[in-house]
Amino acid sequence: MSRTKTRPQLVSAIANLNEELALNLIRERLGENDDPLNLIADCQKGLQRVGERYAQHKYYLSGLIMGGEIFYEVMELIQPAMENRISGTGSGKVLLGTVASDIHDLGKNMAKLLLSCYKVTVYDLGVDVPPEEFLRQARKLQPDILGLSGLITKAYDSMRETVRLFHEEGYQIPIVIGGSQLSEEVFRYTGADYWVNEADVGIKLCLRLLK
Amino acid sequence: MDQTNPERCKLIACAAVIEEMLPLIPPRMSYEVLDFGLHTDPKSLKRALQNAIDSSAPVIETILLGYGLCSQAVVGLKSGNHTLIVPRVDDCIAIFLGSAAEYQKQYSMVPGTYYLTRGWIESGDTPFSEYDALVKHYGEKTAKRIVNKILKNYTRLAFINTGNNKLEYYREHARSMAERFNLRYEEIQGSDAMIKKMLCGPWKDEFVIIPPGKTVSFFDFRKNGP
Repeated sequence: MSRTKTRPQLVSAIANLNEELALNLIRERLGENDDPLNLIADCQKGLQRVGERYAQHKYYLSGLIMGGEIFYEVMELIQPAMENRISGTGSGKVLLGTVASDIHDLGKNMAKLLLSCYKVTVYDLGVDVPPEEFLRQARKLQPDILGLSGLITKAYDSMRETVRLFHEEGYQIPIVIGGSQLSEEVFRYTGADYWVNEADVGIKLCLRLLK
Repeated sequence: MDQTNPERCKLIACAAVIEEMLPLIPPRMSYEVLDFGLHTDPKSLKRALQNAIDSSAPVIETILLGYGLCSQAVVGLKSGNHTLIVPRVDDCIAIFLGSAAEYQKQYSMVPGTYYLTRGWIESGDTPFSEYDALVKHYGEKTAKRIVNKILKNYTRLAFINTGNNKLEYYREHARSMAERFNLRYEEIQGSDAMIKKMLCGPWKDEFVIIPPGKTVSFFDFRKNGP
């Protein structure tokens, strides 16, 4: 089947949460040496539709999660092709974690997966990570970027606390906050250097900062 | 700020909290209930709230919002000719618990808590109530995979007892869901303290007060500012 046909098909398969079809289309396109970045872009279009359907109450939360699950499966298939495409060895280190009082990690895990595809070393501290632990690990691991992830409103206070601690201790590092509900006002509140509310935008930002 | 004449006040509340508020609404105060489902889409909720504010009768001077920040759905709302009163809380769980401080206390103790209340159980919009539909749609293996993913890192299911008349039914529902999904069940006593303060005033630090002609900002909810 031609790529021009499979591209919208892949977007629809993801949007319709049809895991089997989506994975078959990915295999087919990888067999045709399609650019893995195109595949990721199509998947993200599909996930965007999933998000729209959730907002329109056509899907429940489980729809969003299923979309994420399909994306993880897709990424596992794509990863070897991505690694072949990107030459060289590790191109930077990112320290990542969900901040204190928050236990949500879908966005963080997606960012980790995507960064790994670009051969970025990711140190994942998990969820509900206190500011002091971020600082302790930063001193130990010497990352190039600190990524603070969070979904719920309480996370914004923890992000602010973490940023404040790094500033107080004079630890210089670009701090990126990520979360689907972030806004310009929240960004200003936290005092971080950058903010992103979509995983792929976050990846592009990190790659730019690591150059 | 002190309470004004109830006839000049209007309550706009989410369907999730209205049952707890109804017994305490002062006579002659008007109220409007917005769909529970709006909470999944903050933009739609913001639009619905703005419409409800803008369509208030000319006699209304003060509008009480039965909401918290709610994924920032209230940020950007314009007060128009009214004064807006909003509980200074992240979401309705703090309203059910009686204060932002109590919510914070619960969070500090167990961050991975899934809260259930009468309203949330009734809405059917929880991973627990979705489970059977998921099994039908995807089969048991995938349904489990999805729910385990949603509940990953959650350790406790807390049912907030707000003392309604079908208490035993909701309590048992919550308890059985905890058991089914391997979460520790706990019942937390709710409090109507914040609801009473909201409906009857005076509105002190626990409330954000937006005067006429102003817009709600995220910073109104964080006293420690930018």
